Amino acid sequence: MTGWWPRGLARRHVVERFASDTLRAAGAVLFASLIAGVVIAALGFSPVEAIRALLAGSLIGPAALTATLLKTGPLLLTGLAVALCFRCGVWNIGAEGQLYAGALLATLVATRWLVGAPAVLVLPCLILAGALGGALWAAIAGALRVMRGVNEVISTILLNFVAIQLVSLAVHGPLQESAGAYPQSDALAQAARLPELARIHLGIPIAVLLALAGSFLLFHTAAGFRMRAVGLSPVAARFAGIVPERQLLLTICLAGALAGLAGAFEVSGVTGRLFESLSPGYGYTAIAVALLARLHPLAVVPSAFFFGVLEAGGGAMQREAGVPAVATDLVKGIVILLSIGFAAGVGGVRRVGPVARAPTSLSGPQADGEVL
Amino acid sequence: MSAARAGAALPLIELTAIDKSFVPQRPVLRRVDFDVRPGEIHALLGENGAGKSTLMNILIGLVRANAGAIEISGRPVDLARFGPSAAARAGISMVHQHSTLVPAMSVEENLCFADPSGGLLFDRRRAASRLAELSQRYQLDVPPGARVEDLSVGQRQRAEILRALDRGARLLILDEPTAALTPGETAALFPALRRLRASGRGVVFISHKLDEVEALADRVTVLRRGAVSGTLAAGELDARELGRLMLGRDLSALERPSASGGERSSPLMRLRGLSAAGLGGGCGLHDVDLAVHRGEIVGVAGIDGNGQRELEEVLAGVRRMDSGSLEVDGKPVRPHVRTLRSLGVSHLSGDRERAGLIPGFSLTENWILKASHSDERFFSHGLLRAATASEATRVAIAHFDITPADAAADVATLSGGNAQKLAVARELSGEPRLLVAVNPTRGLDVGSTRFVHEQLLALRARAAAVLLISTELDEVLLLADRCVALSRGRVHAIPADADRAAIGAIMLGGQGA
Ligand SMILES: Nc1ncnc2c1ncn2[C@@H]1O[C@H](COP(=O)(O)OP(=O)(O)OP(=O)(O)O)[C@@H](O)[C@H]1O
Ligand SMILES: [Mg+2]
Repeated sequence: MTGWWPRGLARRHVVERFASDTLRAAGAVLFASLIAGVVIAALGFSPVEAIRALLAGSLIGPAALTATLLKTGPLLLTGLAVALCFRCGVWNIGAEGQLYAGALLATLVATRWLVGAPAVLVLPCLILAGALGGALWAAIAGALRVMRGVNEVISTILLNFVAIQLVSLAVHGPLQESAGAYPQSDALAQAARLPELARIHLGIPIAVLLALAGSFLLFHTAAGFRMRAVGLSPVAARFAGIVPERQLLLTICLAGALAGLAGAFEVSGVTGRLFESLSPGYGYTAIAVALLARLHPLAVVPSAFFFGVLEAGGGAMQREAGVPAVATDLVKGIVILLSIGFAAGVGGVRRVGPVARAPTSLSGPQADGEVL
Repeated sequence: MSAARAGAALPLIELTAIDKSFVPQRPVLRRVDFDVRPGEIHALLGENGAGKSTLMNILIGLVRANAGAIEISGRPVDLARFGPSAAARAGISMVHQHSTLVPAMSVEENLCFADPSGGLLFDRRRAASRLAELSQRYQLDVPPGARVEDLSVGQRQRAEILRALDRGARLLILDEPTAALTPGETAALFPALRRLRASGRGVVFISHKLDEVEALADRVTVLRRGAVSGTLAAGELDARELGRLMLGRDLSALERPSASGGERSSPLMRLRGLSAAGLGGGCGLHDVDLAVHRGEIVGVAGIDGNGQRELEEVLAGVRRMDSGSLEVDGKPVRPHVRTLRSLGVSHLSGDRERAGLIPGFSLTENWILKASHSDERFFSHGLLRAATASEATRVAIAHFDITPADAAADVATLSGGNAQKLAVARELSGEPRLLVAVNPTRGLDVGSTRFVHEQLLALRARAAAVLLISTELDEVLLLADRCVALSRGRVHAIPADADRAAIGAIMLGGQGA
């Protein structure tokens, strides 16, 4: 097997598509950087200096590279979560909340339930708790959509705020450190910390493996085939014996698990504690990550890395060149717009399109009143 | 240029030496010349995939030609700038082969938006009264207030035609407008088109039904594999001649092998007292009794919108029955997609773009669409067997002569007829015991229609049952061993000796035997 593409299904087309997609993505990135450069210059800063600072803070030297990779990990997992959902026609904007929910449950396990347990017990439990927390959180939005027809765009956004407040509540109350000084949890015991090599924790290679798994799922399994079918045409999928509601729930839970995993990895691999601003908005940037990757799980890896560079380098740019870090947000925003715009040319939006129609199509012909 | 031609007014539009290919080395149009004069109905004929829709899309600026020239009323057009809005300004409007109405909007709303005379605000009452007036004037019945996505294929088609007629275009293009209309509706449409002609407008009419072309057209252009194979004037028209130009051969009459007979005692499928709610203000189904035996084709004739879609959805397993029962092999069955499939009931959707195929999926992915839950050929242990799937698709492509012969191509890039062939091929492939076929030849050219008819008869000869739900009365009469009419959600038997007028009366009024 030479790749994770749908072998034989579309060999030549995949190669062509891959080339054109890569070109488009690169174009979006370049163009966005160009505009950001112009804006930086207009603000009276030197774009050359800014780019130098950005690269120095993100790519040049082991410390910078490590910082970038640590940002890439959560972006990769949440980006994957968003990409899978969009493929199935579910607008999951809630990766941020799912990340927090996962972090919360993982912290609960590590600092309250399994204190003093050996790593072989604590680590798997913590990871599972992260995935479970995210999945359960996402399931709320999924269930609301399937049972009550609540648009998941709204519910997932709102659930983000709820999850963030829930974490806030926890670290001010039941989960607050024993010292009671700051609104943060106890430090995780060494046994509950992910193994790491040169500060790169185990979660990052796991995330890359999950991207491979996600690609395999989408293009090589019956389950992924059904997800894609529902994403493109819920009505035709129903006529083919696929129950769109079930696919929707399955997908959003899977996505929640991935985002929740990102939360658990942050706590256990990076910060060692849970606190309020654990994520600098990974779950939102994830949408840009997924769109730039044109919803392909494998492409999410380089896409997440690119946004990791922005995330890590933006701070350096501010410190060293004095350029406000919002300049990197500008790049993010423009990349989103351009990825959507470029997608519009070749059916990429059609790929995302059924999402907008999904609420009505799901209420179409019902399979014997069966929902699940 | 002939003398007659020179004397005529300038053509409304003239395309010269148009070349188009979407994929390199696969030309779709080759040096095509085409023009429409004021006050003429110009028919465009050709096999499935000949390039008719593509040529018309170039004419209204949706698709850009690779080479060639366009002149509107004698003035050359800058090809690079010619887009849909330029075409609209030039007074060109089109009824597309596939619905272009906004699914989530009502028919009235669809009629109003992009209407230059509409003003800024949407006036519901005015829109409703205009729709009523239009339906009345053109005798095309569209349920007011219904959302487009709840409409049947035929209703959508009618709404689309009304919208185009309403725009008062100088040049009206109709891409297979009659594919989903009943003969009665078609007959009502023709005078409207003739009135347009009389008022000096131009009409392009695409159809696979040669008798319609014969009745209507002043001139006919025939496309064959992307090149013009001839342009004929009205006097020279003759259905046989046209068929020959299109196919390059003659078609013999359909042979109807005698049924395998016997076994009439127990029906393969039986519906008893079926009632189901209607869609989008539709009539629903009331107390429907229907049986199909092995080796039998039962035709359900009727005007679309009289319960066809509800009946189809119940038999496909996606619509709930309010009351009544479905029996297969004498055993009651809860209609559910996968249950029915496992019993050998196959469903050929009448709405291929929405319910039958998935645009955006390749031919192969569409081929295996309905197998994703069965652990047999294309999926095993939850994994997709891509090589087996594309091999099976390639076999079907060859057998049904589908172009492009590329299993990896996106179904959205197929011509209407080729997409239909793929859908038909898929449903026939599993050796169904019962095929529920809804308008199986919609959009197919003469040759492919013949091929599908032969396939249905072959199925019957192999002792399978076919329930043929069709708005095409000729098709029902040609193929069915026994006919019923579906009218306002009720089934009425059609006596074997009824003539067309009697059948028409049964279909409309429902008062029959
Ligand atoms: N967007 C596209 N990309 C690639 N190929 C295309 C595209 N659109 C059309 N084609 C190809 O161009 C050819 C002509 O298609 P077209 O739709 O014009 O046929 P048609 O004459 O209208 O046929 P039908 O009677 O079946 O509607 C077909 O082989 C089709 O596959
Ligand atoms: Mg066509």
